[in-house]
Amino acid sequence: MTTATVDPQKAPSSEDRAALWLRLATIWHAFLVVAGLAGAFIVWQGADTAVWQKAVFGVLLLGLAGVSGTAVFHINQRRSRGRNLSLAVNYLGFLFALVGSMHQLNMFVGLDSLADTFARGLPFLALIFVGLWLGSQTERFEGDLIRQQQVRQVGRAIAILAGIIFLFAVGLLDGLATVPSALLEGWETAVFLSATVFFGLMVWGMWQQPVADIFRATNADSEMLNGYLFLSPNLLGFLIFFAGPLILSLYVSFTDSDAFSTPNFIGLENYAEIFNLDLEPLASADQLASEVLDVTQYDELNRFTIFGQSYIIGAQDRLFWTALGNTLQFVLLAVPLSVIPALFLANLLNSKVPGMRFFRAIYFLPSVAAVVGIALVWQWLYNATIGYINYGITLVIDLFNTIGLPLTDPQIRWLSEGNTALLAVIIMAAWQWIGFNTVLFLAGLQNIPRALYEAATVDGATPRQQFWKVTLPLLGPTTFFVVTTTVIQAMQVFEQVFIIMGTNPAGPSNSTLTIVLYLYQKGFQRFEQGYASAIAWVLFLLIFAATLVQFQRQRTSGSSYES
Amino acid sequence: MIRSYKAIQYTRNGLVYLVLTVFAFFMIFPFLYMLTTSFKEPKDTFRYPPRLLPRETLTTEMPGFDEPLPLYYGEVNGEQRELALVESNIRIGVFVDPANPGVELQLPLDNAEPKGGFTNTEQVVVNGEEVPVYLVTSEGQTQELALLSQTALGRFVDPNDPSVEILQNVRLSQPVEELTARPENYTDVIELQNMDRSLSNTILVTVLVVFGTLTTSVLGGYAFARLNFPGRNNLFVFYLGTIMIPFVVLVTPMYQLMVTIGWVDKVASLVIPWIFSAYGTFLMRQFFITIPKEIEEAALIDGANRLQILMRIFLPASTPALATLTTFTFLYAWNSFFWPLVVINTGNVDNHVLTLSLNVLRGRASDSPNLILAGAAIAILPPMIIYILGQRFFVESATSSGVKG
Repeated sequence: MTTATVDPQKAPSSEDRAALWLRLATIWHAFLVVAGLAGAFIVWQGADTAVWQKAVFGVLLLGLAGVSGTAVFHINQRRSRGRNLSLAVNYLGFLFALVGSMHQLNMFVGLDSLADTFARGLPFLALIFVGLWLGSQTERFEGDLIRQQQVRQVGRAIAILAGIIFLFAVGLLDGLATVPSALLEGWETAVFLSATVFFGLMVWGMWQQPVADIFRATNADSEMLNGYLFLSPNLLGFLIFFAGPLILSLYVSFTDSDAFSTPNFIGLENYAEIFNLDLEPLASADQLASEVLDVTQYDELNRFTIFGQSYIIGAQDRLFWTALGNTLQFVLLAVPLSVIPALFLANLLNSKVPGMRFFRAIYFLPSVAAVVGIALVWQWLYNATIGYINYGITLVIDLFNTIGLPLTDPQIRWLSEGNTALLAVIIMAAWQWIGFNTVLFLAGLQNIPRALYEAATVDGATPRQQFWKVTLPLLGPTTFFVVTTTVIQAMQVFEQVFIIMGTNPAGPSNSTLTIVLYLYQKGFQRFEQGYASAIAWVLFLLIFAATLVQFQRQRTSGSSYES
Repeated sequence: MIRSYKAIQYTRNGLVYLVLTVFAFFMIFPFLYMLTTSFKEPKDTFRYPPRLLPRETLTTEMPGFDEPLPLYYGEVNGEQRELALVESNIRIGVFVDPANPGVELQLPLDNAEPKGGFTNTEQVVVNGEEVPVYLVTSEGQTQELALLSQTALGRFVDPNDPSVEILQNVRLSQPVEELTARPENYTDVIELQNMDRSLSNTILVTVLVVFGTLTTSVLGGYAFARLNFPGRNNLFVFYLGTIMIPFVVLVTPMYQLMVTIGWVDKVASLVIPWIFSAYGTFLMRQFFITIPKEIEEAALIDGANRLQILMRIFLPASTPALATLTTFTFLYAWNSFFWPLVVINTGNVDNHVLTLSLNVLRGRASDSPNLILAGAAIAILPPMIIYILGQRFFVESATSSGVKG
C-alpha cells in the first residue's frame, strides 16, 4: 500500500475505485460460480444434445465455476494470481460472448450481404490503398521534416475519408439498422450482449493500474498477461479451426459419418476396408478371378507370376489402390521433372551476366497464377486436333522428315487416352512448379561463398567437378527443402486433374484418379466422410513417411554448410 | 590468348542466353496463348494450323446482297485481287471436247444435261476411260462435251467491278484477313457466368483474409518473440509442428464444423477459418526476434504500452516480413479452389469466387475456348499484374520461405 501514497492528491480516489472494483469482482465471480454449476447441470440434463456437445459445454461451464471460485479465494488474499485468473476468465468470457453476440446478430453470415454491395465500395477501397501508399512516400522528402509530416497527414486523411465513404457505399449503416430488430427477436441475443458488456467491464476494471497496484503485480505478471492477450486471437482461432478439427478428423475416421446425421463409432473398419487385400495363387495365369477370389468382397487389382506360379491380388477397395498407384506415379515423375530443370536453370541464372533478374521474373510467373486457370489453358493446348502441343510435335516431325528421318506423326489424344492423360497432367504441373523451385535453388546457390569456387579453380577443378563436388553438396539443405515441399505438393495433387480432365476427372479407365480426388469423391460427392477422413490420414502418414525419409537422407549425406 | 578467352566467354554467355530464352518462351507461351485466344472470334479459335494472333475475315457490302460478303484473294488475268464470295457450292463439271481432250472446261452443271437422259447416258472414251456425254449450254450455244469429274466451286466477284467474275474452290482460297480483337469475349463471359460478382467476391475474401492474417500473425508473432509467459515455448513448437499437416486431413471435420454453425454456402466460411495462420505467426516471430531489445526497453521506460511499441516500433521496421506474408496470403486466398469447391454450393452463383466460376464455366462453354480463356484471364491477370508491380516481394517471399525456414 505504501507505493499508492506517493501521489497524495490522486491516491485516495483511485484507491477507493480499485477497492470498489475488487468488491464487484468478488460478487461477479461468486455469481459465475453459481451460474457455471447451474449451467453444467442444465446441459447434463439436456435431452436433445449430442454426447460430445454435453462433454464440451459441461467441461467449459465447470471450468468457469472452478476458476472463478479459485479467483475469488486469491482475490480475497490479495494475491496477484487472483487478478490473473480473474482477467483470464473474464477475457475468455468476453471473447466467447462477443463471438456469440456477433453470431446471434448474423454478423458472420452477414458477410454475404456485404458481398452483395461490395462492388460499389471497390473504388473507395482502392482509394484507401492509394492514401496509405501516398502517406508512405516520405523518403522522397529526405530531411524536410515538415513536408514529410504533411505527406503523412494527407495520405492518412485520404485513407480515412475513403474508408468512411467505403463504409457508407457498402451499406454498413443499413446493416447496423438491423441490430435493434435482432435484439428484440430473442432473449439469447440480449443475454449474449449483456454478457459481453459485463465480462468486458470486469476485464477493463481489473486491468487498471490501481487494481494492479493492490495486487503488487510485477513486470513479469504484466508481460505474461500481455503475452496471452496478444496471442489469444491467434491461439483461439488456431484451436477452433486447426487443432480441434485435427483431433475431430481422427475421430471421424473411426466413424461412418455422413456429415449430417449422428455418426456411429465403427473402430478401425474404414482403415480395414482401405487396406483389405487378398493374395491367392492361380492355377494358370489367365484363370478367371471369380474362381479364386471371393468376388462379393474383392475386386481384382493385379496379377503377376514369379517362379512359374501365378498369383492374383484382390482388393476390397480397388479404387483406393488405383489412386495410390497413380499418385505415386505422379510424384515419381513430376518431382524430378520440376526439380532437375530448376537446378539446371538456377545454375545458369547464377552466372554473372546481365538480365538474370528478368529471366528469374519470367520463370516465376506460373507460380502466381491459379491452378484452375492454368489447367483450363493447358486443356486447350492439349487439344488433339487444334492444340499447340500436337501442332508443335507435327512441326518437329516435319523437320525430321525434311532432313531425311522418316517419322510418323503420333497425333496423341492426350487427355482422352488412359496412357497419356496422367502424363499430360504431370507435364503441366512440372511446368508450373519449375519457376518456384528455380528461385529457391538460386537463393541457395547465392549463399555458397565465392571463395570455395576460387579455391576449387586454383586446385584445377573443372566446372563439372565444381558442380558435383562443391555446388551440389553445399546445396544440400536447399535441395532437401525443394524436394520435400514438391513431394508434399505432388502427393496432394487434385486441382490440376479435377479441372483439366473435365466432366470425368478420374480420367479414361481411372488413369488420373489421385488420392485427394478419390477422397473428394468419397467425402463430398457420396458423403462417406468417415471413410474420406481415413483416406486423409493414410495420405498424411504417407507424406510424413516421405518427409522423414528425405530428412534422414539429408542428415546422413552429411552436407551441413549453413550460411 | 586474351582474345580467344574472350571469344569463349562470349559464346558461353550466348549459349546461356539461348537456353534461358528457350525456357522463357515455354514459360510465357501458355499465357500468351490465353491472352490472344481470349480476343479471338469464335470461328478463329478452331483453325488448323493454329495461329496465335486473333484475326477476322474482312467482308464487304455489295448492292443486291443483304448480308456482308466475305473477301478472298483470287487471281484475275494474272493479277491478285480481293474478291467477294457471292455464291458458294456451285456444282461444276469438268468437261472436255471429245474431239480435243487436251483443253478442260469448267462449266456449271446446272446448264448441262446428260445426252440420252439420266438412266441411259451416252458414253464416250476419253484418254482410255469411258465417261458420260453431256449437252452443255454456254453463252447461247449448246455443245456436246464429255464430263470428266464434278466439283463444287464458289463464285467470286470483284466488289469494285461486278463484271469481273471467277470460279474457284472456296476451301483452298485464301481469305482476306486482318488482325482484330474481340473484347466482347470478356463482357460475354461476365454475363454468362456472373464473373463480375465472382471477381468482387474474390477481392472481398482476399482483402479480409490478408488483413485478418496480418493482424493475428503480427499479434501472435510479437507474443512469441518478445513476451514471456508460461507454455510459450511448448506452444511455439506445437505451432511449428502443424505447419506441415496437409489441409486434406482437416477438410471433413472443417466441413462438419461449418454445417454445425451454419456457415455452409456462406462467404464467412471462406474468410474466418483462414485468418489464423501458424505459418504467418512463425514468419513474424522469426522477424521480430531480430529487432534489438534496447529500443523496446527504452520505449517501455518512457511509459509506452505493448500495443504502442508494436505499432510504432515493430511494424514500421518489419516491412519485408509483412510484404512476404501479404504476398503469400494474397496468392493463397485468391487462388484457392478445393475449400470453396467443398463448402460453396454449385448453384449459389452469388457466393462463387473466381476459381469456382471457372470450374462451372468449363462445363458450360466447353466449345468456346475464347470465352473460357477470357474467364481464365480474369482470374489470372490481377495477381500477375500485382506480381509485375511488386516482383521483388514475391521472389523474396519465395526464397525466405525456403532458405530460412
